[in-house]
Amino acid sequence: MKFRYAMVCSSNQNRSMEAHSLLKKQGFDVSSYGTGAHVKLPGPSLREPNVYEFGTPYKHMFDDLRRKDPELYKRNGILPMLKRNLSVKLAPQRWQDNAADGCFDIVFTFEEKVFDMVLEDLHNRDQVLLKSVLVINLEVKDNHEEAAIGARIALDLCEQIEAVESWEDSIDDIMVSFENKHRRKLLYSISFY
Amino acid sequence: MVGIMNPVSREKLASLSSSVKFAIDLGSKLELCRQLKHDLLEEDAADLSEFLPSIFDLYSDPFGPVRKFATEIIGEIGVKHLEFVPEIAPFLITVLEDATPAVARQSIACSIDLFRHTLEKIAIRGLYSSELDSDLESSWSWMLKLKEKIYSIAFQPGSGGIRLVALKFVEAVILLYTPNPNGSPEPPPNEGTTIEFNITWLRGGHPLLNVGDLSIEASQRLVLLLDQLRFPAVKSLTTSVIVVIINSLSAIAKKRPAYYGRILPVLLSLDPPSFVIKGVHVYGAHHALKNALLSCLKCTHPSAAPWRERILGALKEMKPGGLADLALNQVHKINGSVEEEKDDSLLIKEEKPLTKAYDAAGSNVGRKRSGTEDSSDLAEKDEVSGKRVKATPSVSEESTKELNRDITVSQGDISSTQSSTRKVDVDTGPVQQLVGMFGALVAQGEKAVGSLGILISNISADLLAEVVMANMCNLPPTHPHTDTDDELLEDMCIVGSDTQAKYPQSFLADVISLSSTFPPIASMLNSQQSVPNKIVKTEGEEEVDVVADPNSALAYAGMAHEDENALLATDLPVSPNIVLPGMKIDLPTPSDLHDTGNLESGIPGLDSSFRNDGLSDTQAASSLVSTDIEDASQEQATSFGGKSPLHVLPSISIDRSEELSPKAAVTDSSSMVSSTATSVVSSCPFVLPKMSAPVVNLSEDQKDDVQKLAFVRIVEAYKQIAVAGGSQVRSSLLAYLGVELPSELELQKVLREHILSDYINHEGHELTLRVLYRLFGKAEDESDFLSCTTAASAYETFLLAVAETLRDSFPPSDKSLSKLLGEAPRLPKSVLNFLGCLCSPGISEKAEESQSGDRVTQGLSTVWSLILLRPPIRDVCLKIALQSAVHHLEEVRMKAIRLVANKLYPLQSIAQQIEEFAREMLLSVVNVDATERIGAEGLISESHKDSDLEKSSNEHQSMSSISKDISADVHQSETSHSGSSPSVPEAQRCMSLYFALCTKKHSLFGQIFIIYSSASKEVKQAIHRHIPILVRTMGLSSDLLEIISDPPSGSENLLMQVLQTLTEGTVPSAELIFTIKKLFDSKLKDVEILVPVLPFLPGDEVLLLFPHLVNLPLEKFQAVLTRLLQGSAHSGPVLTPAEVLIAIHGIVPERDGIPLKKVTDACNACFEQRHIFTQQVLAKVLNQLVEQIPLPLLFMRTVLQAIGAFPALVEFIMEILSRLVSKQIWKNPKLWVGFLKCALLTKPQSFSVLLQLPPPQLENALNRTAALKAPLVAHASQQNIRNSLPRSMLAVLGLAPDTQSSSQAQTSQAHTGDTSNSEKDAAVTEKPKESSSAS
Repeated sequence: MKFRYAMVCSSNQNRSMEAHSLLKKQGFDVSSYGTGAHVKLPGPSLREPNVYEFGTPYKHMFDDLRRKDPELYKRNGILPMLKRNLSVKLAPQRWQDNAADGCFDIVFTFEEKVFDMVLEDLHNRDQVLLKSVLVINLEVKDNHEEAAIGARIALDLCEQIEAVESWEDSIDDIMVSFENKHRRKLLYSISFY
Repeated sequence: MVGIMNPVSREKLASLSSSVKFAIDLGSKLELCRQLKHDLLEEDAADLSEFLPSIFDLYSDPFGPVRKFATEIIGEIGVKHLEFVPEIAPFLITVLEDATPAVARQSIACSIDLFRHTLEKIAIRGLYSSELDSDLESSWSWMLKLKEKIYSIAFQPGSGGIRLVALKFVEAVILLYTPNPNGSPEPPPNEGTTIEFNITWLRGGHPLLNVGDLSIEASQRLVLLLDQLRFPAVKSLTTSVIVVIINSLSAIAKKRPAYYGRILPVLLSLDPPSFVIKGVHVYGAHHALKNALLSCLKCTHPSAAPWRERILGALKEMKPGGLADLALNQVHKINGSVEEEKDDSLLIKEEKPLTKAYDAAGSNVGRKRSGTEDSSDLAEKDEVSGKRVKATPSVSEESTKELNRDITVSQGDISSTQSSTRKVDVDTGPVQQLVGMFGALVAQGEKAVGSLGILISNISADLLAEVVMANMCNLPPTHPHTDTDDELLEDMCIVGSDTQAKYPQSFLADVISLSSTFPPIASMLNSQQSVPNKIVKTEGEEEVDVVADPNSALAYAGMAHEDENALLATDLPVSPNIVLPGMKIDLPTPSDLHDTGNLESGIPGLDSSFRNDGLSDTQAASSLVSTDIEDASQEQATSFGGKSPLHVLPSISIDRSEELSPKAAVTDSSSMVSSTATSVVSSCPFVLPKMSAPVVNLSEDQKDDVQKLAFVRIVEAYKQIAVAGGSQVRSSLLAYLGVELPSELELQKVLREHILSDYINHEGHELTLRVLYRLFGKAEDESDFLSCTTAASAYETFLLAVAETLRDSFPPSDKSLSKLLGEAPRLPKSVLNFLGCLCSPGISEKAEESQSGDRVTQGLSTVWSLILLRPPIRDVCLKIALQSAVHHLEEVRMKAIRLVANKLYPLQSIAQQIEEFAREMLLSVVNVDATERIGAEGLISESHKDSDLEKSSNEHQSMSSISKDISADVHQSETSHSGSSPSVPEAQRCMSLYFALCTKKHSLFGQIFIIYSSASKEVKQAIHRHIPILVRTMGLSSDLLEIISDPPSGSENLLMQVLQTLTEGTVPSAELIFTIKKLFDSKLKDVEILVPVLPFLPGDEVLLLFPHLVNLPLEKFQAVLTRLLQGSAHSGPVLTPAEVLIAIHGIVPERDGIPLKKVTDACNACFEQRHIFTQQVLAKVLNQLVEQIPLPLLFMRTVLQAIGAFPALVEFIMEILSRLVSKQIWKNPKLWVGFLKCALLTKPQSFSVLLQLPPPQLENALNRTAALKAPLVAHASQQNIRNSLPRSMLAVLGLAPDTQSSSQAQTSQAHTGDTSNSEKDAAVTEKPKESSSAS
């Protein structure tokens, strides 16, 4: 695996973690982040979400929610999701606060808003290394089923990217063939570290 | 700088670098490199200068990553020790040409660092001295060379991935060469500090660098960059290059606003559709451009300002979403100055409603008062009356104009709400268009009535609900008429008119619109008269209460929806007022009302319309009301005690206002109202001066309460609406409300309770579906995890609750559940589980035992329709059905099997799955264990025999009874046996489905034959139990024939049963017979398989088979016997009894390999059946047998038996015996013994025969059977006999001593005996004929 990957969604819970988990299993060098201000998980109602700070361990959230209403959070898939997450890494990380994690080669986002935020953040950093980073947005609806599908597609794309010598030369071809294959529109941009 | 070389370190480095060179695999090389780099960077310049060549050497490595690393190391050395630049720069230039893109890119990345540092160093050196040393100069010239080289890459078409970095390099150089307005204008006082380099530090007189030249170069490069994006160059770029260039340009524009004016025109003219590059991925570039423009927009530099508008325009065209939208709004807010230039700026729009709200506040309070006091439509009219005199509602020019104006106002509101507070509405394009369309139509006045009617009748109820809801947020926070009388008039028109002509005006954005929408729509749906009629029916209390309430409540809800406290506060009081007129006017308001008030001018059109509707009969009632109202309006101090209908509303509104307006001002007024409501009312509306805005801040809880109460009222009202009919349209609205209002309020629960309280009458199905679709839409629509999950959860809860209630409250025959599940947008897992429980009742549901059967049917038919209607969940539903098809309860199972086999299996798409499942289940019972196979087989065959016997003894017994017998048998054996293999019921459970499928697809049947041999005895029993029904249903098909023609070994018993069933009661086809015969001949030598078809075989074939048949176990032979003799119903007996016996006697044990015992048994079996094997038959048989040469072995035995069975045959037997004598029976020792036995048995009749024997044989006979001698002698001694006997005979008998003569006499005697025998024989042969004819 020659590239370093980052999976980014808004809360670093569902979509990015699904992809993180899958890619990790496949042996990729992968990290995951969220771009939101907080980690928000559904609560008993729309107006009462469970809000956590980035950096709160998944285990903590898991215990917290299990204590609150195990039935509800099991049914809506939150507890299983957290369980999966805590097996992947310790806690959700915020993209903007983790610039120190170093250079990624490929950044996947799963929502255009997140894509824009990642790009904006990258542009706001001092681009001195002149090390290119490919940011790809794969639009994935934020529910469990779609996240699973999205992760598989992301994996497929990652494998294709890994297969070429340098993505800089062949990214357009990869994108086109990918779009034809999966009938999904991709958005990408190139930024620099 | 001159250090003493540390030998250790040098040695170490040398060894490291050489080991890098000689390391074999990439991984270890990289690891060594990393170490090398770490060590090298510790070294000082002198050491490095010696060592540099060996590092350059590393670059010759064949591995790309190593070369890249080497480049990186060298780059870092360069940055640290700029004095090496003259050596390193040429190196980097060569690396640029590297075949591996990553290495070349690394070179550029190193270059920019190096370049920046060199530039910085030279710049700062130059500040302090006019001369620079030659080293620096040469460094700089090398750097410039390097730069030019990279430039050439950047602007060379088609250099692929390196180009991206090269372009970035260009950007970096441009930024370095141009002054940074935000940077520090002065260089840091000492070299050590790290401030970002700024070209402004350079002053004139720098020996090498000239600011002007540099900036000229920068701008030249910028032009080059820009040119890339110009047509037609842009056409040849790849998307990635475009993206990078756009990003670079926007970065430059942002960091160097001076270039804003040069960059933006290019970006703006970059027309997305035109840069379709080889048809590839415009989207990415498009998005990059959008982001670039957005970031430019955020730039606050003065030079950016002139571009703002154009950027905004371009962005609007690009339909920015999300961040862009937000940013746009921010920009609007920040740059008020720009806004002001535009005539319809957003800011202004936003202010407008606010100011209005404030303005309106005072009058609102006033009106609220009057409303509460008067609590009737007149409240509003009063106000109107004060201000308005003319303008009829219909078509006067003025009102039309006003209408138009109103439309524009409301549209303005739309846009303001859209852009400012309510993002929700941004997307409702079609709906807004519809609203606009309604507005436009209404603006045409009565002309458009027809068109409006058509429009309304043609749009779906859901859409109409959307329109109404969308319109809600267009409602101006206050009534516009506070400022302008004319507008109020308009409202009145809208409210007042209940005919088609007027009502659509309701869409003109007012609270009124909502209130008036309900009745009018109903009226649209029904006839034009229906509304008045309805009102007549329900006139009075109820009407007011019922119809008005929901509307007022709705109005509340709508307001609450606005989320703006101010609006809430000001509008709440208004709504009841408005609502009331809308409703009340439905009641005929007679003209005297108008006479008394000064408000006629506002109403006449209305009244006339009412009168035209011919409601004069309601005059009395309405006049009563109107009089009261009149009083109220005139005196403005009326007690309402007696008028409950009117009383209800004010009290409500008071409650509301109290709840909603905790703030002082409002509380004051409302408390005043409440105190005066029932007694005295002052002329508040006119007396009170305009008050400042009573902005009420409700707490969240209060809001919740209000909303919930409102909703409950609405729901309650719908119960009446349902009774009145026409709820079709309204239910959409209700569903919309139930879903859109915040879910915390458990409104959905309220709604659900409403639906379920009377599913049929409340149009539960429609309403449920509407709610479900709303929720589903939300769940699908929302991209954000939170609301998505919440909505999905709500959806699930709702659907499940309704489904459960439907199941529990309706009879199983009801189709509601099926319909609901069939039409719901999505069936979540829990609902499918629910369905599964319905189809496969578990132990937990014992309670409903009695009904469970019907419930299962209900569930299954639901599943069936789901499978047909919903392909996406077909598999899941099929699984439910299949699970049910192997249910442990037979009743359930049979139902499910019927569904699966008859309805589902014929469906091509799922047949395969069903088959696989059934096969799996079938195999599952076999694979358990096969240890007890042998014992099991014995048992089966026994039971099989039993059934066989039974059949033969009672041919016409039905098959089912046989199977019952088998099953009874099975049960017995089952109780006696308990093993690990599946029990019979269990086996049946698993196999039934497969059997059912066999009847549909006969080739499947073969599998049963295959598993049969390995099946446990229970399984076999289960199979046998099924076979008769199964085979009879299947009939004989080519598939079945094929299976029969080649049965797997071990399946004989099964085959037998199949054949039996097949031949049962019908004539087997020629093919079947042929197949069986062939099978018998080729593979399966067991004659048993032929037994079922024996009656249908030709006699001669059967005779050929006879030895085999005789060889069967006795019981089977007996059965065979019966079959043969009875034959089939169609063809008659195959063999006559005589033929059978003769055939038996034809068997030669030695030759046919059949034990003699079997043959004798067979004979015995025949003799047992005396009614068939009668004496005539026996006589005939014996007659024929005696002629056979040689005589059959058992002949004498049969003769003996015949005598035993039929003593009457003795005469006949005597003849046979005498014929035997003539055949010299004594020559066959075995038969001779029999002969003698017979003779003994038949004495004295046999004496004459004995005497026919030649004397030696007689002697032999008498010697053997001493018992004969004395009687025979006595017999012969009789004179007449004695005379006829030759001497030799007499000698044997001891009656004469001469032996010689006796032998002669014997021959002659034998001769005579012969003739006499033949005579007798003839007589005997006639005998059976007679008897047979007699019988």
